[in-house]
Amino acid sequence: MDFNFIPLAFGQLLEPQTIGYALAALGLTVHFGFTGLLNFGQAGFMAVGGYFFAITTVKFGWPLWAALLACIVGAVIFALILGIPTLRLRADYLSIVTIAAAEIIRYTVKTPDISPLTGGSDGINGSSDGFYALDPLPDISYGFGVLRYTNDGLWIRIVGWLVVILAALLVRQLMRSPWGRIVKGIREDEDAVRSLGKNVTWYKMQSLILGGIMGAIATVIVIIPTSLQPDNYGTQTTFFLYTIILLGGATTVLGPIVGSIIFWVVLQLTDGILTLLVTNHLLPITSIQQGPIRFILVGIALMLLVIFRPQGIFGNKREAHFSA
Amino acid sequence: MAKALHHRSPLVRVILGLLALAFTASLLTALGSASARAESPADLAARVQTATTPSAAPSGSASAESIGIWVRKLSDKSNVAGVKITITGPGGFSQVVTTDAKGLQTIGLPAAGTYKVLVDVSSIPAGDGKPLGLNPRQVQVDTDNQGVPAYFLLSTTAGGGSGGGTTPTPGSTGSSTSGSSSSSGGTSFADVVFPRVATGLIFGLLIALASIGVSLIYGTTGLNNFAHGELVTFGSLTGYVMAGILHVPGPIAIVSAFVLGGVFGWVQDLGLWKPLRRRGVALIPLMIVSIGLSLALRYIFQFIFGPDLLVTPSDSSSFLTLGPVHLRSTDVSSPIICIVVLLAVAYVLLRTRIGKATRAVADNRSLAAASGINVERVIRIVWIGGGALAGLSGALIGYYQPVSWQTGASILLLIFASVTLGGLGTAFGALVGSVVIGLLVDLSTIFIPSNMKLVAALLVMIVILLFRPQGILGRRDRIG
Repeated sequence: MDFNFIPLAFGQLLEPQTIGYALAALGLTVHFGFTGLLNFGQAGFMAVGGYFFAITTVKFGWPLWAALLACIVGAVIFALILGIPTLRLRADYLSIVTIAAAEIIRYTVKTPDISPLTGGSDGINGSSDGFYALDPLPDISYGFGVLRYTNDGLWIRIVGWLVVILAALLVRQLMRSPWGRIVKGIREDEDAVRSLGKNVTWYKMQSLILGGIMGAIATVIVIIPTSLQPDNYGTQTTFFLYTIILLGGATTVLGPIVGSIIFWVVLQLTDGILTLLVTNHLLPITSIQQGPIRFILVGIALMLLVIFRPQGIFGNKREAHFSA
Repeated sequence: MAKALHHRSPLVRVILGLLALAFTASLLTALGSASARAESPADLAARVQTATTPSAAPSGSASAESIGIWVRKLSDKSNVAGVKITITGPGGFSQVVTTDAKGLQTIGLPAAGTYKVLVDVSSIPAGDGKPLGLNPRQVQVDTDNQGVPAYFLLSTTAGGGSGGGTTPTPGSTGSSTSGSSSSSGGTSFADVVFPRVATGLIFGLLIALASIGVSLIYGTTGLNNFAHGELVTFGSLTGYVMAGILHVPGPIAIVSAFVLGGVFGWVQDLGLWKPLRRRGVALIPLMIVSIGLSLALRYIFQFIFGPDLLVTPSDSSSFLTLGPVHLRSTDVSSPIICIVVLLAVAYVLLRTRIGKATRAVADNRSLAAASGINVERVIRIVWIGGGALAGLSGALIGYYQPVSWQTGASILLLIFASVTLGGLGTAFGALVGSVVIGLLVDLSTIFIPSNMKLVAALLVMIVILLFRPQGILGRRDRIG
């Protein structure tokens, strides 16, 4: 029996996917946890960021800084388009519109007519050159055992975690500032904040933009070592993010980060155990049937978390506004 | 009644609910595995639909896109072998293939695009007649589309087109021959619009059945049920299992999808939503629970039925021809069933006690409770009704297009768009919204690529929210 999956599962700690999801989940925490915006389209922000970055780098040949700027501008525009019609309405309207908008992005980029630009269903490869050109690490193999990284692989992992830490510090400071108190006030009682003369819709918009930018940059971290695939930004991505923030605690800064680590390590472990059981014929299922199991587990975990521990691991039950 | 329910803790009830879910799932697994052994026409058709290995790939390379051709006789549905078919397409692509013993052939294509499929009438065995419908036929192949169907039915009695070897059959009379009118590629505007109006109306009525459930559940409980698509999928798969695997007649399959859908809705309410309401869980967490449920159910369906498209067996011949519109018998019966059921729902809502109670609860829950209406009972009935309507919708969708584990999930956003368009929480708004969305989705393909048709519907929803957030029939004070 091959038990390599155990170190590989813990290697998820350093995978760009984990780092990216941590950052995107942090953005979603700003929306959902701190401001109370029911954004079901974080995958849309991720896709917009990814496509703005990949198209400007690969198709237009822009330098790294310009592509990153484009990625941020894309997220801001997307937030404005989503926010203007919905932020003055009740929470469920935002949820429907954001989930629809995320799907619009996914369908649109897959359209054959614009595939010279977006790569259609195949996505876009090779947006990494500008980033790897900055790599100062010597070109040797790093790591130990089954966890080995090239210098470029280690470089993206280091930068990725640095970005997440910076973003977490930023969110932490923001939430302790007057701005943070206002958005948390909006979460608790919108009318009370409005009665103090604050422009609630504008504060919600700022929150939507901030979290959206984090989602957009998250994709950049994910796609640099891999590639941009439109179907990775379907609705299930948003649902994964919700599971992550509810796991860690939706109203904390550390929650989404630890949540992402736990989420991917556990998912990888279960996948490994299932593969082991299936290949050794210890489970009466086929390897095709193995694929959906992780999604079933995530779905059930999401339900159980919301019902029994809405504040997550780190959360404060009093602050978990949605625990009723 | 309330006291009796307090005896069991919410935890126990949730676990019971999940157990019930697991039981249903295992029951379906047993049925699903039976399907592996059954060799039915549906399986055959499904294989055509998902054929992945082109048997005659051009220039030896394995290509991603392909067209699946199937030639049969209308009279007895027997397969016709040895028919020559010419496929021409962009970039000078041209290939002649011959159907095999099962009347099938798959052609690998170099790229996505619009291909012209022409049946060589002279190669059809004597006495088998001529192909019905358009010949040559335009087939739109999008990126990664495999086995795009180009099915031909041969008939000796097809009126009109019996003259020369290449005379078009009734479907295209007056368009390609005279070259009279304006628009694209020798097809008149009516030929483009009317079939889409017909399919759009049918599709709109199908999603209306599901939308009413969403709207009523929203109205009575405030929950935006993101797992409603899975109720539709449940109906589709029930219909498929009944008609495709157990070979019961179509009407019985449809009725059983309706009944089992109602049972599924009832089980969901009893095992999950009711305990959560008792716990006093707020609406936003409820919505997230529905998302978790949707994800879990969707992949349970995939676990059982696999990732492929499933075809519910039905008569795919032309039943009714109205000018350029060809309708199969199911295309005629489905909308009739929809209309009858929708009228029945309207009658129940407007004329019966329970219907009035439902509308009262949707209007103002506390006031309804205060005036002696049993709100829990109304909600239970709404869940049963919503589930049954969604199940019916799913089963009928199975006769409209091939279904899969994500049929419901893929139309969920259209359902939401319809409900929002009509006005959240209003049953009749949902109906109006659905028909509008159904038409919009199909008519939009005249102007935009067909895989963008959902985008049109979703964009309209966003625009509606900008200018009239309460929807067509909604009330201003609901949107707060």
